[in-house]
Amino acid sequence: MIEKSAAIDRTATVLLLLGMAFVLAPLVIAFVTATQSYQQFVQAGGIRFRIGGHFLDNIRLIVTETQLPRQLWNSFVISLLVAAIKCAFAFAATFALVFFDSRMNRAIFAVTIATVMLPLELVVITTYQIVANVLMPVNWFVEATGLDWLAGSIAGVRVPELRLSLLDTHIGVAAPIATSCTSVFIYRQFFLTLPRDLPRSAAMDGAGPLHFMVDILLPLSWTPLIATFMFWFIGGWTSYLWPLIAASTPDAQPAVVGLAKLATTDPERIPNVPMLMTGALFVSIIPVTLIAVMQRQIVRGMNLSEK
Amino acid sequence: MDRRTWKAGKMRQGFYGGNLTYAMLVAPILFLIFLFFYVPVGLAFFWSFFLERPFGGGSQFVGLQNFSRVLSDPVYWEALQRTVVFMIVAPGLAIGISLVLALAADRGLRLSQAARNIVIWPKAVAGASIGVVFVFIFNPFLGIFSPINDLFPGLWNPRIDGNDAFATIVVAQVWNGIPFNFIILLSGLQAIPDTLTKSAAMDGAGSWRRILDIQLPLLTPQLFLTFVLEFVGTVVEAFGLIDTMTEGGPGEATTLLIYKIYVDGFKAYDLSGAATQTVLLMIFVIVMVLLQFRIEKHVKYER
Repeated sequence: MIEKSAAIDRTATVLLLLGMAFVLAPLVIAFVTATQSYQQFVQAGGIRFRIGGHFLDNIRLIVTETQLPRQLWNSFVISLLVAAIKCAFAFAATFALVFFDSRMNRAIFAVTIATVMLPLELVVITTYQIVANVLMPVNWFVEATGLDWLAGSIAGVRVPELRLSLLDTHIGVAAPIATSCTSVFIYRQFFLTLPRDLPRSAAMDGAGPLHFMVDILLPLSWTPLIATFMFWFIGGWTSYLWPLIAASTPDAQPAVVGLAKLATTDPERIPNVPMLMTGALFVSIIPVTLIAVMQRQIVRGMNLSEK
Repeated sequence: MDRRTWKAGKMRQGFYGGNLTYAMLVAPILFLIFLFFYVPVGLAFFWSFFLERPFGGGSQFVGLQNFSRVLSDPVYWEALQRTVVFMIVAPGLAIGISLVLALAADRGLRLSQAARNIVIWPKAVAGASIGVVFVFIFNPFLGIFSPINDLFPGLWNPRIDGNDAFATIVVAQVWNGIPFNFIILLSGLQAIPDTLTKSAAMDGAGSWRRILDIQLPLLTPQLFLTFVLEFVGTVVEAFGLIDTMTEGGPGEATTLLIYKIYVDGFKAYDLSGAATQTVLLMIFVIVMVLLQFRIEKHVKYER
């Protein structure tokens, strides 16, 4: 702190309190409502700031009467896949981009970074078609090169239309989310801060490029790796539009989609708001705990002070 | 010298050679983004020139007809207009509030630690999840405004009044957008060298003066970063909120472009129309991003 000024500090404190109140308000309202029973809620005729003592009953309702526990598992696997793919693929590629002398570096960097500009949600219509048949490009290739016609005229057989749908699978939901290559940018910034002669000295000790990547670069990179892993895990967990489309059966849907479906089922009667609020907390507790516990590591490792 | 060369846009000369290892390292990510990013993007452009029938019913080249059909539809222009309004209001509020909070947290108060932790929680809450909560909070009969409605019936009803509905989406989007902007702006503030602010204070500049003359100018890169990310973000992130809170209604008061694409493509099975709107929205986003980078070049401050 530069100067002591009680008035300014008081204003700043009030502002921070207001900000925290705004952030916490919906969560607190959700929690208070989640402790009430449906009868209490209907009798009160809506929102009341009274702890009701039925939180565990509502949890039991969620666990036994809805698909959310199973969908929580889907969320977990999908988010893990998203984070693992994003970190591993980007780490290997960025290592090549920074530490290899290749004419392709520029082009590959541009091609990966361009993915950051267009989020997946913009392109869901056609991404759906590709995930519904990931072999579609192979079919196009066969058709375009005339292999189709060649096989037909020489061997008298038609090349069959290949089909492989990844809809309703964990990997099918996760892979398109993992295409955004922000990690390449973050890892590159980090690698460029390392001493230039690191690979040279490793080579003197007889370590080749892969040896260097696994035994020297990887241990040095834990901070950004862990931070980005957490961040992409949360990103996978909170994505909605794509999983909504790619997973049509309740068995395959992640928890966020399951919760939204739960909220739209009863149109006429007063909805079971306490149960829905419990559900909202139920699907959010894992990522929120993660960010609350790991806040410092995530912020530091993302190296968000753009320098 | 090395740093300067890559800053000027040149890639650094790496140490290793060996094409096979290189190819092996970059192949996975290239395969992934080719199949699940570039092919879908290309397909969207392709489809926008064809009339696609749903369920694989064949396609027919129609030239620019899809574009003229979409662009002559007043509903499209209204959705675009709403998207633009949303893109100005929501990021403006989210970044403004984040900036105030970041400036306050940067003073190193006793509360700063707790605030830095709690303010970023919404990042971990999905838009669709908090949408379910907000739709209850803003419910005209069950929510926090129901007492007002008892006194003045019909004053607040997002199910009937389009402006009310739009406002609820903005509030929810701002709630969800604060954390990321807050993180970026706060780390930007903390990167400003202490010596600068201290010497300004010695010259008699008060807090307010220092914010205007030192902190904000030096924060320009971060502010631009937040604007770029928020613009792209709000175009797509509002979907989870709209789908759980208003479903585009009442009327079409909260139908933003991203929601319209979803409805046209997956509810009405108008694949060509949806692909054409996708292409237009992609061009819109790319132009916005490039424009912002152009502006940034002119206003960049040296540290």
